[in-house]
Formats: sequence, structure tokens, C-alpha cells
Amino acid sequence: MSKLEVDTIAPQSGTQVTLGESGDTVTIPTGVTLDASNATTSLPANVVTTDGTQTLTNKTIDASQLSGTVATSNLGTGTADATTFLRGDQTYASATPAAGSITTTQLAYNPNPFRNIIINGDMSIAQRGTSVSVSDGSNEGYQTCDRYEFYLQNAGSVFTWSQDTDVPTGQGFAKSMKFDVTTADTSVGSSEEVNFRQKIEGQNLQYLKFGTANAEQLTLSFWVKTNKTGIYIVKLYNSDSGRDVSASYTVPDSNWNKYTLTFPADTTGSFTNDNGRSLDIIWWLVGGSAVQGGTLNTSWRTNADASSATGQVNFADSTSNDFWITGVQLEAGTTASDFEFLPYDVNLQRCLRYYELLGSGTNYPLFNAYYLNPSAIYTVAPTKVTMRTNPSLVQTTGSSYYRFIRDSANDFFDSISIDISKTNYVELFNSTEASGTGGVAGFIRLNNASSYLAFNSEL
Amino acid sequence: MINTVTKNYNVDNVFCSYQVTYVNSNIVSSVPLDPANTDYQAIQKWIAEGGVVIDNGGGE
Repeated sequence: MSKLEVDTIAPQSGTQVTLGESGDTVTIPTGVTLDASNATTSLPANVVTTDGTQTLTNKTIDASQLSGTVATSNLGTGTADATTFLRGDQTYASATPAAGSITTTQLAYNPNPFRNIIINGDMSIAQRGTSVSVSDGSNEGYQTCDRYEFYLQNAGSVFTWSQDTDVPTGQGFAKSMKFDVTTADTSVGSSEEVNFRQKIEGQNLQYLKFGTANAEQLTLSFWVKTNKTGIYIVKLYNSDSGRDVSASYTVPDSNWNKYTLTFPADTTGSFTNDNGRSLDIIWWLVGGSAVQGGTLNTSWRTNADASSATGQVNFADSTSNDFWITGVQLEAGTTASDFEFLPYDVNLQRCLRYYELLGSGTNYPLFNAYYLNPSAIYTVAPTKVTMRTNPSLVQTTGSSYYRFIRDSANDFFDSISIDISKTNYVELFNSTEASGTGGVAGFIRLNNASSYLAFNSEL
Repeated sequence: MINTVTKNYNVDNVFCSYQVTYVNSNIVSSVPLDPANTDYQAIQKWIAEGGVVIDNGGGE
């Protein structure tokens, strides 16, 4: 073996130097460093061998030069198949989330059906009527949009309370509830109160876990439009435990605006698990000094008037003032989800639990009936849904407001009374004007344009 | 606001419900004797505040 010792090998001519010939092996011994970092190198086809013992240092392989399939086992650990995906930590994991691993917290919205504690939040149902004039002592209570009660105490103002079609643009609502001041009251008495509210059954609130360490916070969202800007108050009142909390929102302009209020959980006061009134959601419009003063009460406490509406503007100070509201939603948690629109029939069904309009106007067909004896007409009327409690019968009365139609004859009477009332059936009778033959059957119609008949089991 | 409350008697002359009229309203309610009914609760409150129920007896 001969040994050639030189410092540089350079081509004798041209620019190429060749080591060996085809079939030869050029050996670089162990411990020798082949430094080609400054060279422009054309890599041989098999520079990366299958045994993986050779590596590329300070070299880049353009992506367009890569081809073939990398074995899944070289990309990550775990089972690689059609049911898995490769995570960032080079682990194959199931593509299907484990049962129970996704909670509402991880979603951008609350997907729970009937998450809205409020009934008729879009104001679409108004069985009783669509407009009424309300003053203290006249037409208070439930008159327009189902489930909303209007309350006036020592108030000198008068309002037109109506279901309206002015709604926020592009939000999907068709109806709103409107309060229009028709007689102003610029001097608010100390005990004056004007507010509207919705009352909720306790058995619909048990999942809030009030009165326990796991009590949920509540978030109320709604759209309001009013020209009377300033501070408005919403109060929650737990009538079972006699506790209350308030929150405020500020109306900055006369546009439709969405307001979101989050109320704290109450670990002290619980809701009774029954069909009775448990929670009032109260929107203030006018509040006298008795409910103002100090700092607004924003923590659950033993119910009191003081500080429950501190800062509330006097909405009734001008006949120019109007107030619209729609899209009311109360839900568990600290986030207001998108309004939960219900089909009209579902919304109506929910309202029917509290009030059912049976009919109004001349010739409205009602029930089959018969003479139980010569002076008493009886009928049994079913309710459309199971009502909250044994309902009252609400009616207008007057001469011949009802007609009993029998074979070739009519008998007229003025009113109907309840004998027995149950949540699914109500036994009704008239024994003041009825006069006929016992056992004769027929049916009853309303018989006057002003006739009106309904079942009521509101809270 | 309640105006008048009258007892209703059924064909067996049993007191079975109240007939209620209201101030400034043409509405009349027939109210069952059910403490969970809020109209019944309002009648009891009205009575407690001095309202007098009209009782014409049964036997019509």
C-alpha cells in the first residue's frame, strides 16, 4: 500500500476531481471528520440509509424533493388507524371525545334546551289582549303579553301597555312589549313603585341549587329601547326565602340595546320545590325614595325595600317616554347565550299552563252541556294542558252573554260559575238564568261580541 | 282591585266557589276554593283587610 501525503488535491485541468473508479470503495476511517459545511454539495441518492445511522447536518432538503410514505410508527406513538388522529405531542389519540369530556363551559353557547327560565321571552304570546290603559288600581296585573305582570303602587302616572312590533333589527324578534306614558308623574312619592315582573315556579328552579354551596349564578339578558336614558334597575326576589338582590343597567341612547346582567348565586335562600311562586324578576320603571337611597343592593340579603332600586330614573316623567323590551332570557351561569327561540306552538303551550283563552266574541263554540235539573246547566270543560293549579274562570258577563243550543230551541244565560276545578278538567254550571228540562242536552256558545272566557292559574 | 265577592252554591247547595267582580273592570272571575290559586289568595287577603263576602245561600 502506498501513502500519498498532500495538503490539497486539485484538478490538473478543469474543475473535477475523481476518487477511485466504479466498483471501488473509498474508506474514511473512524475518527476522521469530513467537513463539507462550506461546500455546495450534490447529495447522492442514498445518503439516508435504511439503518438510520447517517444524518444530515446543516443541510436542507426542499419539500418538493420528498416523496413516498412515512410509516405512522415513525410519526408518533399509539394506535394509528381511521379512528385516531396525531396530536402535537406525537401521540395518536381517539378522534371521538370521551363521554362527558365536553361540557357547556367548552362551548361557545349554552346548548341546553329550555335553558331560558323566562317564559314568553320574545313577547310573541298575548292571549288576554294586545293593548290596555293601566293606572294605579285599574287594569294592573296580567293584561297583555302572557306571563308578565304590571304593578303600580301609589303611582300618579298612566300607561298604555301593549304588545308591539318595534323590535331590534336583525335579531329575529317579531314582537316586543311596550310601555307608553300617557299621563306623566314628575313628582315621585316616597312609596311610589312602577315595575313589571315575571314570577317563576319553584319546581322549575331546583337545578340552580340555591341554598347550597353549589348554587349557580344567574345571567339575565334582554333588549330594551327607550328615549328615557339613564340608570334602570332589575331586582330578583326569592319569595320562598324572603331574599333579594338587584343590578343596574344604563341606557345610553334611544336605540335598541342588549343588556346583560349577572347576579350572584345565593347559598343561603332556597326555592321550595312546588308549583308556587318562588322567584320574581322585576324590571323597575319608577321607584320612590323608599326603594332608593344608599348604594344599590347587589348581594343577596333579607328582602328589603331600601336600596333595592337605587339610581332608578323616573321613566314616567314625560308623556313623550316610551319603553320597549324583548328577547328576555334568564339562565344559569355567567354568560348570556343566544336567545332561545321556541316554536310558536311550544311557546303557547308553556303559557297555557298559566292562562288559557277559551274563546271570545259572538258564536264562539265552547262545550257540550246538559240540564242536570230544570234550573241548572252543567258542563265539564277540559284544559288544553295541565294547568299550574286548579284554575279560576275569567269571563265578561251580561244579559244573554251565553247561549245553550238544544233541539229546535235556545236558552240564554248571563254567566258561568265553577263547581269543581281541577288542573285538567273544570266543572261549570249556571243555575241563575237556566230554565229547561232535566236531562236535555245541547251545547254552549258565547253570544255577545264582548263575551270572553278563559281559565286562569297565574302566579 | 276586588269590588265584590259572592259565594256560589252548586245544585246540592254546597258552597263551591266565589264569584268576584273588580273595580273599573267588566271582568268577573269564578274562583275555586283552592289555597294555591292566586285569585283565591287575593280574596283571602281582601277579607283580611275588611272585605265582606256576600252570601245569598244556596237553593236557587
